[in-house]
Amino acid sequence: MVIEIEHLHKFYNGKSVIRDLSLNIDKSERLVILGPSGCGKTTLLRMIAGLVVPDRGYIKIDGNVVSKDSKIIVEPENREVGMIFQDLALWPHMTVYKNLEFGLKAKGIIREERESRIDEVIEKIRMREFKNAYPAELSGGQQQRIAIARSLVLKPKILLMDEPLAHLDPELRLVLQKEFLKLHEDFGITVCYVTHNRDEAYNLATRIIFIEHGEILKVTKPI
Amino acid sequence: MLRVFVLLGSVLLLIFIGFIPILFLFIKSFIADGRFSFQNYELLFDSKRTWILLLNSLSLSSATAFITLILGVPLGVLLTKTDLPLKRFFIILFIIPLIISPYILSMAWFYTLGRGGVVAGLLGEEIGAITSNFLFSFYGVLFVMVSVYLPVAIILTMTYLRTLNPALEEAARLSSKWFYILRDISLPLIKPGIMLSGLIVFVLTLGELGVPLFLRFDVFPAESFLQFSAFYNFNAAIAMAIPLGIITIIVLIIERRFLRKKVFQFGMTRMDYLIIPLKKTKPIFLIAVGLISSIIVILPLSVLIAKSIGGYPEAVKNSVDSIFRSLFYAGFGATLLVIIGFPMGYMLEHRAYRFYYTADSIAVFLFGLPGAVIGIGLIGMWNTPSTNFIYTSMLIILFGYIAQYTALSERITASALSQIPDSMEESAQLAGAGWLRRLFYIVIPLSKRGIISSWLVGFIFCLRDLGITMMVYPPQMDTLPVRIFTLMANSPEETIAALCVIMFAITLMPLGGLMVITRYMRW
Ligand SMILES: Nc1ncnc2c1ncn2[C@@H]1O[C@H](COP(=O)(O)OP(=O)(O)O)[C@@H](O)[C@H]1O
Ligand SMILES: [Mg+2]
Repeated sequence: MVIEIEHLHKFYNGKSVIRDLSLNIDKSERLVILGPSGCGKTTLLRMIAGLVVPDRGYIKIDGNVVSKDSKIIVEPENREVGMIFQDLALWPHMTVYKNLEFGLKAKGIIREERESRIDEVIEKIRMREFKNAYPAELSGGQQQRIAIARSLVLKPKILLMDEPLAHLDPELRLVLQKEFLKLHEDFGITVCYVTHNRDEAYNLATRIIFIEHGEILKVTKPI
Repeated sequence: MLRVFVLLGSVLLLIFIGFIPILFLFIKSFIADGRFSFQNYELLFDSKRTWILLLNSLSLSSATAFITLILGVPLGVLLTKTDLPLKRFFIILFIIPLIISPYILSMAWFYTLGRGGVVAGLLGEEIGAITSNFLFSFYGVLFVMVSVYLPVAIILTMTYLRTLNPALEEAARLSSKWFYILRDISLPLIKPGIMLSGLIVFVLTLGELGVPLFLRFDVFPAESFLQFSAFYNFNAAIAMAIPLGIITIIVLIIERRFLRKKVFQFGMTRMDYLIIPLKKTKPIFLIAVGLISSIIVILPLSVLIAKSIGGYPEAVKNSVDSIFRSLFYAGFGATLLVIIGFPMGYMLEHRAYRFYYTADSIAVFLFGLPGAVIGIGLIGMWNTPSTNFIYTSMLIILFGYIAQYTALSERITASALSQIPDSMEESAQLAGAGWLRRLFYIVIPLSKRGIISSWLVGFIFCLRDLGITMMVYPPQMDTLPVRIFTLMANSPEETIAALCVIMFAITLMPLGGLMVITRYMRW
């Protein structure tokens, strides 16, 4: 099990946003969390990543407790969790290469290894000729791939994706869903994908969890 | 039709009131003995003193800008992004020096570090002589100017950090400690904002009249003022003003060319940005920030207040007329600033008409121009027999306020309007509402908070103005800052200190109003 969540609670201004939520995520699965907007999906992902402090319950990553009740035990930068944000959040002042290099540098990885890891990932996503481009010079789909590559180059234990396709038009969305499935195959990584779009959930998931008002309603496996 | 009339009208008014006099000044600088000549410039540039003044002015302004950034950017980061306790309190504290007339602060430092000051009283005359020498030197002026303009760097750093897309930092947080995030992501992204605050501090320091005059440090605006008021040498004063104008234009060009388009990811203010936990270093930062604010704000103001005890009856008796005039002029000025600044801000935000950019450039240029230069321009233009009714009335002071401070109300309006979705006005338009109706029923109510803020900021800046007012005020029509300045030489210290405290107190009122607005009003 990559992620174990037990009895997790989160309140905002006295209002319960996540209620007694327990959940496990297995290695290499594509778990999709499906729920209407405002049901607490983003909050849940951010708690796994360590960007939001829970109020009760604990979260384990690879068997290690990373947060217990309202205490952060492992800081975000040490959790080995990757996250794709809704607006991708590529750093606009850095080239593609620098975007990928930042995290490796912050982790103190030496230059030769940085180069070889970046080259490997960039090759896999077929973006070699864009190494020195700035994010603004790329198309939406290319930006998406770079955002994923930026996470994967750090070899995370899990990739959290927060409605990365929500803003896009339906056609592009289908293309990128295919692309995403291919990337998942290539990298063999565990994914937790959040969306409010039913079709998207069924296209992508190996398992779907429905949540509403911060609680799990049901769990299904699409065929 | 009405729209173009109002928008164009506001720009023409600013050009007429502020820009034409400066243009006149420029033309006049080429006239000597009734015909075209470079004589004024020859006199100016032949004199060794000119170059010394220029060097003094430039080195003071650059050093102030530099040190302000070195201190202000980290303070801005601490006060925005960390869990430092008492953040709001410190922010208010740091803003205070900006809103009072800068030379009042130098006065407070004089009572602290001068020969007869508090330090001399506590530590003996020898130490007092050292601190006094420090105060009346380049470094003393630099110190006072840094404490005055530190808030500019702090506030702009805070503002730009807040408009940064929080996801950019969150994405970095997954792999990095805060140190690298700030160094490689947050601060580089707001670099244009940081440079901008450096430029603003540079220009404002360049134009400062009161502090160098009081601390007897020779700079251009002070010399220009003296040539005019002490030697009645109008030509020399004009020639002095020109280099200041040229430097201001250069700075303006730098801003327009290099800083305009370079701001990334703007406009999406989300309030839930990540907070940096200071953890074990919290007490250290708290002590550091507490110490800085105590030294540059609390200490001088406490000394000023202590000094003022017993001076109030005399102060009020002497200057009650100036106090009321100050309030009246500032209130009137602020109202006019809103009336002219609002349409200009509207134009800037909507990029209405092609001249919005020129209009904004003119406003910003006039804001950057030293007050003394604007003052000389106004006098040159209105001191004629047929326009004496302007020259000898409060109009000339109000003209000065409009010329110098319209940029403030324009920019505040523009940023308030940028918070209103275009669709609000558009849907009213589709419903058939004319421009004026949309303005009064949609735009103005929605930007109430911005309008009130711009009025209060205008009020504060008119109230603290010394540069323009001291140049242009007609006899018996001075304001409190001017009165303090003229009384300074031959009045008891406690009277002067009391006047300074009164000045300080009446400036705090609009600041209080401003804080209530930013805190409790949604719109
Ligand atoms: N920082 C915050 N402060 C207060 N309330 C918040 C904050 N973040 C989210 N919420 C509230 O928590 C609820 C769940 O939000 P979110 O996790 O973003 O939902 P989803 O991603 O499913 O749309 C919403 O009602 C939202 O308003
Ligand atoms: Mg969400």
